[in-house]
Amino acid sequence: MSEPIIKVENLRKSFGDHEVLKKIDFEIRKGEVICIIGSSGSGKSTLLRCINHLEKPTSGEILFHNVAVKNTGHSLSEYRAKVGMVFQSFNLFNNMTVFDNCQSGTRKVLHLDKDECKSRAITHLKQVGMAPYIHAKPAQLSGGQKQRVAIARALCMNPEVLLFDEPTSALDPEMVGEVLNVMKKLAGEGLTMIIVTHEMEFARNVSTRTIFMDDGYVVEDDAPGNLFTNPKNPRTREFLKRYMES
Amino acid sequence: MGEWTILLTAAAPGAESGSVEWALFIAQKYAGMFLNATWTTLYVAVSGTMIGFLLGFLVGVINTSQVHPEDFLLKRIFSRILRAIVIVYVEVFRDTPMIVQGMIIYFGLRQSDVEIAPVAAGILVTVLNTGAYMGETVRAGINSVDKGQEEGALAMGMSHIKAMFYVILPQAFRNVIPEMGNTFVNNLKMTSVLNVIGVSELFLIAKTAGGSYYKYYESYLVIAAIYFVLCFVFNRLFGLLEKKLEGKSDYVLATEYLDNE
Repeated sequence: MSEPIIKVENLRKSFGDHEVLKKIDFEIRKGEVICIIGSSGSGKSTLLRCINHLEKPTSGEILFHNVAVKNTGHSLSEYRAKVGMVFQSFNLFNNMTVFDNCQSGTRKVLHLDKDECKSRAITHLKQVGMAPYIHAKPAQLSGGQKQRVAIARALCMNPEVLLFDEPTSALDPEMVGEVLNVMKKLAGEGLTMIIVTHEMEFARNVSTRTIFMDDGYVVEDDAPGNLFTNPKNPRTREFLKRYMES
Repeated sequence: MGEWTILLTAAAPGAESGSVEWALFIAQKYAGMFLNATWTTLYVAVSGTMIGFLLGFLVGVINTSQVHPEDFLLKRIFSRILRAIVIVYVEVFRDTPMIVQGMIIYFGLRQSDVEIAPVAAGILVTVLNTGAYMGETVRAGINSVDKGQEEGALAMGMSHIKAMFYVILPQAFRNVIPEMGNTFVNNLKMTSVLNVIGVSELFLIAKTAGGSYYKYYESYLVIAAIYFVLCFVFNRLFGLLEKKLEGKSDYVLATEYLDNE
């Protein structure tokens, strides 16, 4: 088996007295698509934000190719450039067009030459079906379109891992599909991804591993086939039962 | 005074003449002085405000930068000191009148043997005053930009400074333009207090011109009209700038890529 790209070790995170993550351990290897499921407040998003240090871990380590990620400075920026993130609220830069959004990282962070930045932007905007909108500003797009642009922007950096933080939770129901389809396509192309989601069907069909989190613990970490049809832990069973009923 | 003003200059109005006639007479007789004073007023206000805006952005950025416990000790100490200086500066300049600041800076510098021209001192006072007020405005402008914008920038590997420069400040700038317009127009009018340190701007000239005929009311009417025109024009200019930065409300579909949908 290949070396893990990211390894989370003994990760704990507290906000004040409230411990949100309690000793989390897991790793992701090249080509894996991990979906993290669990009820709201179980710590899924916090875990994802800790992985790229948007939240500072209280204790424990994030290892990237077996090297601990530093809390600050240049090496953290370099690490973040290799680990992309797609947010629930898109976070496209409102002062830039779609085209400039997709070139912002390649230009200002990777310092690639202009032609390369442009061709990467076009390639990935085509990939998500947003190339005709290069001249639009984020405010002129629908939620689903914004999220597809955000995915293209992340892809332009050629990330080793792409993190998705509830990418469809802020979308109208009819737009969820277009974003999930793009993500499914990326999974098919072998992109390594960690996806926090409430879309159970998607997790079941697309992920190579599913992690169920509850109350700050990783309760179950298994292939989706096992986890969804034959959950070992009673808490997982109860969660899935509640989900299937609703 | 140009030749044309001499040609226009009639004899001084008589005792029975009204204020309007006197005002027009004074405006004509001292046209050259008023023009020079208008130029000085504009010069002090524009350069003082422009440099003050830059200072204000610097103050705003320093005030909104966060110190992380993970940062290097030296960096932490340095930014603490910088912030302390900025906080004291903003407080002092916002809590004292500009007219008093002018006196203290001008006479203070002179007393410590720094030969400073009144105009230079006037610009300095305007810069420091504008910087203090704009600093607060810019801070509010930066805080009004959605937190997710910075997170998006950090997550792709930008540093805080890069995120500020490329993503947050351009948006904050748009938010504070109306307030920048206010500050500039206010500065245009506030230059009048600089007469106390001998800057020959409009107010000082009106006092001089009015004094020679003992017609103060009429003389100040003249500069009131000049101030009004200046402020009116600049208010409109800032309105235009605001509109221009709003950008186009529509966009062109790049049809060459349409078949890829």
